[in-house]
Amino acid sequence: MEDSDNADDEDGSMQNRAIVTPGELVTDDPVWMKGHGTYYLENRTYSSVAGTVSRVNRLLSVIPIRGRYQPETGDHIVGRITEVGQKRWKVDIGAKQDAVLMLGSVNLPGGVLRRKNEADELQMRNFLKEGDLLNAEVQSLFQDGSASLHTRSLKYGKLRDGVFLKVPSSLVVRSKYHSHELPGGVSVILGVNGYVWLRKTSDLQQQQSASHVGKDAAALSTRGNYSVGNASVTITRLEEESSWEIYSDVNDQISQSIRETITRYANCIKILAYCEIGITLERVTACYEASMAYDEAGKLIDREVMESIGDDVITAEKYRG
Amino acid sequence: MDGRRWNELRRFQCRINTHPNSADGSSFVEQGNSKVVCIVEGPMEPPSRSQLSATEATLNISLNVTPFSSIDRKRRNKNERRIQEIITSLKRTFEQSIITDKYPRTTISITCHVLTLDGGLISAVTNSITLALIDAGIAMYDYISSVSAGFYDNTPLLDLNQLEENDLSYLTIGIVGKSEKLALLILENKIPLDKLEGVLAIAVAGGHRIRDMMDKEVRRHGELRLSKLANK
Repeated sequence: MEDSDNADDEDGSMQNRAIVTPGELVTDDPVWMKGHGTYYLENRTYSSVAGTVSRVNRLLSVIPIRGRYQPETGDHIVGRITEVGQKRWKVDIGAKQDAVLMLGSVNLPGGVLRRKNEADELQMRNFLKEGDLLNAEVQSLFQDGSASLHTRSLKYGKLRDGVFLKVPSSLVVRSKYHSHELPGGVSVILGVNGYVWLRKTSDLQQQQSASHVGKDAAALSTRGNYSVGNASVTITRLEEESSWEIYSDVNDQISQSIRETITRYANCIKILAYCEIGITLERVTACYEASMAYDEAGKLIDREVMESIGDDVITAEKYRG
Repeated sequence: MDGRRWNELRRFQCRINTHPNSADGSSFVEQGNSKVVCIVEGPMEPPSRSQLSATEATLNISLNVTPFSSIDRKRRNKNERRIQEIITSLKRTFEQSIITDKYPRTTISITCHVLTLDGGLISAVTNSITLALIDAGIAMYDYISSVSAGFYDNTPLLDLNQLEENDLSYLTIGIVGKSEKLALLILENKIPLDKLEGVLAIAVAGGHRIRDMMDKEVRRHGELRLSKLANK
């Protein structure tokens, strides 16, 4: 039995790189469970998309080469409100269906422990209205694959002071953090769904990062696993800051130089997307440095410039190892 | 007419992922001198509630035959009966071949632009839709490859161009993968029943050849994509 298992595994790893196309027979062995991207007729499993075969234990699935973003619990995403409904917002997150953000899963002015009442329901449009951008985390998935979001952390919420950018979601490399501060007074949120938000680093954030430096790195962990000591800090901060200001529509003063830096970063991310390079903090920074050779940010989106910078980033990375 | 043998296809070329930033799936198909661009958006939230189906995806197809596509320049009405008929039959074909119940409460919108038209309108459009759907990562049972075949002077002819189409009776078929199942059969005029089998036979053979060529392009593109993913 063990031998045959090993043989299977070897077979699997060998075929891992191979591409299957729709209608191609993947296996006629009925022991495999049929996962995504497959269908079966008379105990034979066929592929239904063009992609690579993945085998996890006995689950056989085909991962498409391209496709829309599929939300997963815990993803940090950027979205846009499309609809205000009864106790919920509909959010476009670039997936097959719009996600929902329940009134109960946002922070409202007046502290965490505040209950939501009818008055809140009536003034939902004052918090978030159609067209507003926000960053959020996927809280859970529904039966049909659509997502439910939450913004119950200071990291999440409405977005302002910046520009929106869209890249293919497959290019955003999943990592522990998706919100970064970049050199030049600019912050970026690389949403897992391929929506990117570039903004001026807020003064508050700058203070925070300064105070964070002294602390233990482990205490900074995101995804809600705060240590006890950290939690008390968060709650007090939340009360201080969860005023109406977090739902404000008014942008801060953004200086010309910051605006130019934001544009440059935006074009850098466009370069990475154009060259189909996975987008990470390191590469965005490397690309930004490489882009300094061109004095105008607008020049960066010439086709040749994009290709040469993309090559630079990849080769530089190879040298560094 | 143009030096092909009776069972030869016209030059067939295809590209997928031609518009990577503006669409979920896109393709470009050249079949002889006919050129078609196809764009697929979706599966996505339907623009209006009325189009929503709780159990499966709804399909929206639009076909734009550009006024400059044929020899004489004429503006075709979008609601022209012939175009509408083609759209309806394409919709039926692809509703069968897309696994629509995997995408409940969504729409898939397909837009085709015919840039030049030299016969084989339906077949070029069908092939381009198949490729664009695959590029969009939408689950399908199999490729739908399509080709036209006509009948002249007791010989069946494969893949007609516009001049041949004008003079001969011909049919267009859509074949499911490598099987001999037909997902689409359009015959707009008459073919003698006893000759039909021969015409169908060469059309099926031609369809399989087109499927192989499309498959090759999909794999070529997939390899390229994987090699790029490798240096992530």
